[in-house]
Amino acid sequence: MSYQLVSNLDQVLTSLRDASGKARVVAGATDLYLQDLPYGLVDLSCLKETTVIEEKDGLVNLGAAVTHTAAASSALVLSKAKALAEGCEVIGSPQIRNIGTIGGNVVNAAPAADAAVALVGLGAEAVIIDIEGNKRNEAVEDLYWEYNRSSVDSTREVMISLQFKPCMDGEGSAFTRFAARRALALPMVNAAARVKLENGLIKEVRLVAAPVNPAPTRLVKTEELLIGQPLNDHTMAMIEKAAAEEVEVRGSLLRCSARYRLHLVGVMVARAFKTAAARAMGPGKAGE
Amino acid sequence: MKKQVLIFQLNGEPVEILSDPAESLLTVLREQLGLYGTKAGCGKGECGACTVLLDDRAVNSCLVPAGKVQGRKVETIENLSQGGKVHPLQEEFVEKGAVQCGFCSPGMVMSAYALLKENPQPNPEKVKVAISGNLCRCSGYKQIEEAILSAAKKM
Repeated sequence: MSYQLVSNLDQVLTSLRDASGKARVVAGATDLYLQDLPYGLVDLSCLKETTVIEEKDGLVNLGAAVTHTAAASSALVLSKAKALAEGCEVIGSPQIRNIGTIGGNVVNAAPAADAAVALVGLGAEAVIIDIEGNKRNEAVEDLYWEYNRSSVDSTREVMISLQFKPCMDGEGSAFTRFAARRALALPMVNAAARVKLENGLIKEVRLVAAPVNPAPTRLVKTEELLIGQPLNDHTMAMIEKAAAEEVEVRGSLLRCSARYRLHLVGVMVARAFKTAAARAMGPGKAGE
Repeated sequence: MKKQVLIFQLNGEPVEILSDPAESLLTVLREQLGLYGTKAGCGKGECGACTVLLDDRAVNSCLVPAGKVQGRKVETIENLSQGGKVHPLQEEFVEKGAVQCGFCSPGMVMSAYALLKENPQPNPEKVKVAISGNLCRCSGYKQIEEAILSAAKKM
């Protein structure tokens, strides 16, 4: 393994081109470094474009190398994308969060990566540039090739940033997670929700659960059931039941049995929804 | 592996060394710079024994390619005692019985040190979160939390 710290995007693309598939992009390196792969590592964690945290042209724009700590403590993320702050503040340990990045969390392609689940909940797109200079935007949930493998080819493609619409008045987001321990533990289930309310009814909703597939998975059938519904106990019970019915899960020695996970999917999705809806109602209106 | 010149600040002093930038910061600190206070534990970011500060934030030095420290500030446990006097955190670890075998202590103290730099008067919950990436297999965590809270009061 070799390692190169670069200071601008041109250098990243040039290094990848020169290496002809034998070097890959890395940011925090917390996962990739351990694998001791026969690749060169091109570190883009110090670039202006990959570390920016801003609201621009009606979108929250977060550099792919923004650390979990930076995202979790950003005033912008806390006010306009609470689900992401909540996802980032429970990843690994403080040491990991201080160096691991949100873009890495997505490209590493673990099926229940906390930041990635929150980003899918928020409806985030990744901005990707390839070594020829072609740029594309792609929804985060579409970046998963198979279990633990991203469709982003980091030997020739670079994720620059993640973008999504900020939560405005009447909107809220939340992230929930259930694990055996509060640090350094894989989630048995994690979930994220984004809700928009109008006149007390659900106008728009995104619900995400993981790990139920290689990618964080939107529960589109449950979402459809919710449109136009009021916020009450009946709706909450409906979410819990519909979410669990919509997914197929398997048991895992690393996480928990399939039966328990199915139960958790319903509970965690409903909790994420409830918190997001409370935030959408605004401070003081739902015990927030 | 190709070596390169790494220039950074180590424990308050500028250093310039020739290293393989793909080597871990932990290995460079221990084997090249002779700073054995930082412990090599699990080697995969789970135990926290190798915790050092990079630009004032706690990181697992086993997971940091040395090339990442270029132009930055690194602080290790060796920097805590000054003028022959141990740091209040170290004092309180001894005072509260927060050390038994001592293997986790340097990492534990560095995580606490990073916390107190950012938040000089943390509440118990913040202390728990700050050391949640550090494993101790003998003394237990209660005395460690007490030592950190007590040191915060003294500082």
